Amino acid sequence: MTKNKAPSSQLDTQIDTPVISLDHLRVEFETDGGTVVAVNDISFKVFPGETVCLVGESGSGKSVTSLSLMRLVEFGGGQITGGKMLLSRDEKQTVNLSEVDAGTMRSIRGNEIGMIFQEPMTSLNPVFSIERQLTDGLRLHTNLSASETREKALELLKEVRIPDPEKRLRQYPHELSGGMRQRVVIAMAMACRPRLLIADEPTTALDVTIQAEILSLINRLKRETGMAVLFITHDMAVVAQMADRVVVMYQGNLIEEGSVDDIFSSPKEDYTKALLAAVPQLGQMAGTSLPSPLNIPGVAVAVKPAREVIDTEKKTLLEVKNLVTRFPVYGGIFRQKVANVHAVENVSFTINRGETMALVGESGCGKSSCGRSILRLVEPTSGDIFLDGKNIISLNGRELRSARRDMQMVFQDPYASLNPYMRLREQIAEPLKNFGLATGSEVDDIVRDILEKVELPVSFLRRFPHELSGGQRQRVAIARAIVVNPSLVITDEAVSALDVSVQAQVLNLMMSLQDELGLSYLFISHDMAVVERVSHKVGVMYLGRLVEVGSRSQIFENPQHEYTRTLMAAVPIADPKKKNISNDMNFKPIPSPVFPVGHIPENPIYEEIEDGHLILRN
Amino acid sequence: MAYFIQRLLSMAVTLFLISIITFTVTNILPGDVAMMIMGTQSNPAALANLRESLGLNDPLIYQYGRWIFGMLTGDWGNSLLFKQPIGPILLQKMTASALIVLLSMTIALTLAIPLGVWSAVYKNRWQDTAGSSVSILGVSLPDFFWGIMLILLFARALGWFPSSGFVHPNEDFLLALKHAFLPSLALGLGLMAHLTRMTRATMTGILSQEFIRVARAKGLAEKTVIWQYGLANAIGPVMTVAGLQMGYLFGSIIVMESLFNYTGMGWLTYQALLNRDMPLIQATVFIIAAVVMLVNLLVDLLYPIFDPRIELK
Repeated sequence: MTKNKAPSSQLDTQIDTPVISLDHLRVEFETDGGTVVAVNDISFKVFPGETVCLVGESGSGKSVTSLSLMRLVEFGGGQITGGKMLLSRDEKQTVNLSEVDAGTMRSIRGNEIGMIFQEPMTSLNPVFSIERQLTDGLRLHTNLSASETREKALELLKEVRIPDPEKRLRQYPHELSGGMRQRVVIAMAMACRPRLLIADEPTTALDVTIQAEILSLINRLKRETGMAVLFITHDMAVVAQMADRVVVMYQGNLIEEGSVDDIFSSPKEDYTKALLAAVPQLGQMAGTSLPSPLNIPGVAVAVKPAREVIDTEKKTLLEVKNLVTRFPVYGGIFRQKVANVHAVENVSFTINRGETMALVGESGCGKSSCGRSILRLVEPTSGDIFLDGKNIISLNGRELRSARRDMQMVFQDPYASLNPYMRLREQIAEPLKNFGLATGSEVDDIVRDILEKVELPVSFLRRFPHELSGGQRQRVAIARAIVVNPSLVITDEAVSALDVSVQAQVLNLMMSLQDELGLSYLFISHDMAVVERVSHKVGVMYLGRLVEVGSRSQIFENPQHEYTRTLMAAVPIADPKKKNISNDMNFKPIPSPVFPVGHIPENPIYEEIEDGHLILRN
Repeated sequence: MAYFIQRLLSMAVTLFLISIITFTVTNILPGDVAMMIMGTQSNPAALANLRESLGLNDPLIYQYGRWIFGMLTGDWGNSLLFKQPIGPILLQKMTASALIVLLSMTIALTLAIPLGVWSAVYKNRWQDTAGSSVSILGVSLPDFFWGIMLILLFARALGWFPSSGFVHPNEDFLLALKHAFLPSLALGLGLMAHLTRMTRATMTGILSQEFIRVARAKGLAEKTVIWQYGLANAIGPVMTVAGLQMGYLFGSIIVMESLFNYTGMGWLTYQALLNRDMPLIQATVFIIAAVVMLVNLLVDLLYPIFDPRIELK
């Protein structure tokens, strides 16, 4: 069973001995509310040269499992209460990590097991230089001299393909980009040539192009060193690209284990099937022109496939013309304006009634600023915004307030966007009161009606936000937005923070509300696969400019702009038979959108290659 | 450099505002400088003459102009109480107080940082509760209470330290330290409480960060993780709070120096206020404000050493 699992590795003799073998691992946490079992009973093995992906949604216990392997779980109040974790050390010797003393464990951590974490922005100590952080592990675990450790550090930076390694050693974390920092973290984990590399959601916080680079880097390092990789992720697309074998976890239990091909082509357990069905797959929508709900087995899909918009002339709802938003940068002795961040630069597009327009792009491309500018939550520098023929830019304070009734917004973080002191009833009724739309018992009727629309039980009315899950909170946020009957809803990464199955439900809800209420969405997202699923029209943003805009099929099936193609190439496909993340990937870093005062950007020149398909040509 | 100039400019603006406030307040206060000099029984004609010659009949704006010009050119006028030029008096008292300020801050930091780190490491366990209780005790009891207790214990009962008086460091440094120690300790205990809580809060935040977990994942020993990886990140915020405490400290030395009969700035301010010595009040308030601001500027200028992310611009 194991032989065909271990791919191209030179270490043939060791292939039959697992690097790590978990045997009925159980981990508990003592909390005020009693004992919580985070990991109930988990057994699996990882062989040299093999990547095992541990997948599951939040609360599945996958991170706790990885932290237990490092015995770091104890620092968070966890306790390994059962089972063995056998690590095979160099000379055919095995040690049970559940039982070793703290000193032995320290000699294993960072030496025989390396670990990389989710947040590259916080994984490095901000006040120590890169050199110090790279070398302290080496000084601890090896007998190298000072100059040798420095040499080794340089070598490691070269190995993870960081440009100007000499310069980087002297720098501090804040001087490096997110992708660069994650490379440093990987270099740190690789420093002592571990036999096992644990990667806990290492690309979740990164943009897709950077993610592709990091994933291909981990793959290359695995090939070159023959180490075993335990890769923890919630992203099935990443699993499809990375895994040799997959372990599916749910609520602390192992649900299913198998080769990546088996898991994807013939999953046995219902949970695995549901997980896979909830994942939008890039390219899956080829040949269709309308959005379509995701199928969630086990959940009766009440959603009809979206209809063609009935109006034959397709009335325009929102027209954005030459929108420019710049943020000043102050400096100098008198704190005068010294530069501008060109967040949105001459962007024009239209959204029809009942349609979804998606804005995609990587962090810092200006997609969120664009959404906020339309609501005038940030004041645009110039341009025109027509909502239903009314120019939003020319409105005064009071007019703008009443105009916002027609355009609402849903934000990314459902934990931060609801007032923790308000019950759901007040939460949802608040917009009605703000606009004076209803009084007395009318309010209650409307609130109940809306709650039903977003598929939450009426019994929730008296609950506070902290009593709700992330997905439920996001439904409340949507309810707040649609309760005033807007024609346009701007959603800024509204499903990015949710687990895939919840994400699928919320997306389906949004699509069914669109169908029912004739809503238009401006759907701001970084996730190409989700965008392909939900949108009629797509705009790709890069450095504040719209580089390509067109219908969903035009953009996804016939991408023309170089940047759109780059984005597509970097998106992992949730199908192990279509491996697109393979060789060393290296994309051009995105330049800074900060320009000195007085900088006049070029006017964009668009070429229309098809009806409505525009490509930026300068 | 641009940052430095900018900070100096904003400091100049603040000092200007402070000078106006102190000048106005001391002029609104009841009491007449001429009367203070000549006594209440003096001849009204002589009093009027003195007023005229002191320029007290000039419009306030003139008087202010004269005073601020004097302050800037080093002519700080004469103390009515000591019948001496103010400049040299201030210089001597400043030296005395500098000793107390530095010593109490050192005592506070040496106690507060380990205690705060300890509380943070054992967050919500008995060690933390113990640490927090000590700090609460420190804040809730007034400084002078500590002062009295220390006098009773170390001066009266044990006789290790003198209970009052001041010796200039140039005469006998060790003896000067001995005189400064008890008031400094009393002040330090009050300061320590705030700084402990600050250190605990900062360290709690730091210890939950991912880079701490990464440091452990490298196999580093727990003491390295906490005292190097963790504490290095806490120094900046703690120093900032320590800088801000300077204002509080200058308020507290008024009581403490009087209690210990330690003739420094605090004692001087108290004497000046008690005797309505207007020129002296104006000068002391002005100087204390300037010193507090300078110390905070110094902390800010040093910040990039604690935290490379901070660029002064």
